[in-house]
Amino acid sequence: MTWAALVHVVISGLATGSIYALMALSLVIIYNATRTLNFAQGEILMVSTFVGWSALQVLRAPLVVALLVAVLASALLGFVLERLVIRHAISATHFDVLIITLGLSLVLRSAAGIVWTHDEFPFPSFFSNRPLMVGPMRVAPGSLGIIGASLALMLALGALFRWTRLGRAMRAVAQNQRAARLMGISVERVYSSSWVIAAVVGAVAGVLIAPVIFLSSKMGLVAINGFTAAVLGGFGSMPGAVVGGMLLGVLENLAPLYLPSSIKHSVPFLVMITILIVRPGGVLGRVARRKV
Amino acid sequence: MRHAVLATGAAVVVGWPWAAPPYFVFLASLIAINAIVAIGLNLLSGYTNQLSFGHAGFLAIGAYVAAILTIRAPAVPVVATLLIAGLVTAAVGLALGVPCLRLEGLYLAMATLAFGFVVVEAILNLDWLTRGNDGLRVPAARLGPWTLASDTARYYLVVAVAALLIVAAVNISRTRTGRALLAVRESEIAAQASGIHLAAYKTLAFVVSAFYTGVAGGLFALVVGFLSPDSFDVFLSVDFVAMIIVGGLGSILGSVAGAALITTLNDSLAGFQNYRPLIFGAILITSMLFMPGGIARALGRIGRPTHGAAPSEPARQGEDR
Repeated sequence: MTWAALVHVVISGLATGSIYALMALSLVIIYNATRTLNFAQGEILMVSTFVGWSALQVLRAPLVVALLVAVLASALLGFVLERLVIRHAISATHFDVLIITLGLSLVLRSAAGIVWTHDEFPFPSFFSNRPLMVGPMRVAPGSLGIIGASLALMLALGALFRWTRLGRAMRAVAQNQRAARLMGISVERVYSSSWVIAAVVGAVAGVLIAPVIFLSSKMGLVAINGFTAAVLGGFGSMPGAVVGGMLLGVLENLAPLYLPSSIKHSVPFLVMITILIVRPGGVLGRVARRKV
Repeated sequence: MRHAVLATGAAVVVGWPWAAPPYFVFLASLIAINAIVAIGLNLLSGYTNQLSFGHAGFLAIGAYVAAILTIRAPAVPVVATLLIAGLVTAAVGLALGVPCLRLEGLYLAMATLAFGFVVVEAILNLDWLTRGNDGLRVPAARLGPWTLASDTARYYLVVAVAALLIVAAVNISRTRTGRALLAVRESEIAAQASGIHLAAYKTLAFVVSAFYTGVAGGLFALVVGFLSPDSFDVFLSVDFVAMIIVGGLGSILGSVAGAALITTLNDSLAGFQNYRPLIFGAILITSMLFMPGGIARALGRIGRPTHGAAPSEPARQGEDR
């Protein structure tokens, strides 16, 4: 295979990887704030993308409006779910909250199926699908657009976490909840914010990926790869989530070139098992020792 | 009291095929099969706090092993078939359990979820063996001179195996091993400090759990008579989790009750496929919020009280909350 074709595969891998990275980020944001894994993350993505799509159908509005509607819907959904359901389980174990978010994901998916049916719908893209020729290489503008938009969102998140008061509060809670509370940080507000931010990140990812994988009630499954990406980068680390996502996307796209193509869907799993055996802390992370 | 309840239960189970129409005999077989899976899952989740979303994968392995064995080697008695199905699945459980030892609850849940997907992919791709999407028709199994061709015959087979495995599970939970597993659930660090070999016991739980599910898979193949990969999707794994959540984590009687409830519910919702996950999700959420400990805790002391309790929050999680 020529190196130009290889570059093409790597770039489309990076595009898929950006989506995984965004999913991984949204999982990690909630994990860092509340120490739980949100199983409903993918379904929040799916529902908010559907809401954006409905806005598109009803209002005949430009795609930007769909994006905005999706973002608003996701923020609202994240806020409401955290407030109405998760907050009531605040004293429960992580195990319990995991089950609750699993229940939420079932409810959301089923409700979406009832409202929008379980069919697949095409979703318009921000980017044209005519390939760009850069020298001998063919590059899909869609891939570049997804990569660019994701990077922009990641930078915005980085700035939020580094420089804003809320971001500092969230990092403090991630480090030590009790100490953060003693410093006067409202841990409950951090919970709320983490769900809202994660949902918004998911909504953007949803609008970006929907043109590629179609809009359907099943599209929430992309969250599983987001989780693998987060594990790959070291769960809990935000730069790790980005690196892990990119790495996973590229691996997933490269693997079928060298292995039977039917193996593609198993790549995330094999990657996860491998990384857990070889480097449980992820490529960037380290294994934290817990004190009793 | 206890003996009377047990005796009545046994009488109902034995007399069921004469009292109930054939479809309900089939349904009762399914309940018993699911109860075996629920007990297996509970040994893993309720006892060692490792959540698995991949038990449909184990069930599929057991089912396909039993089916292929029945087709290729019809002379093998059904007991051996089930045992082999269980052992093969247990071997897979061992292979999966060893790397998964490194995983805490959340990671394990996701790794097992991914495992479930991979099993379905594997079944689809090994179509020379499994016939892929076309599905596999399972002939009636043989036990000595008898062919298990009727619903009633299969029902008795399933019930006998289930009873055996329930008794075994109750006994496991009363032994040193069972206590060690419970200690692991309460606090891994404390258990380790008390001299419990953490890795060995967690692996053991995984292997035993896989064995139970594999045997149940073998029974599933025989009772349902037709296997296709889409009967083992992730929602089946979720159903199993729902069974032990509703029934009660760490309770064997609760597992049976949860299996009965979820299976019956599933069956009565068959005409409302769109609403099924909605109702199941709502059940999961409400039972977690309002009834932690499940049916077993709600019924109080009818079940074995020591295991009826919900898992208390493990010490390691209490750190920074």
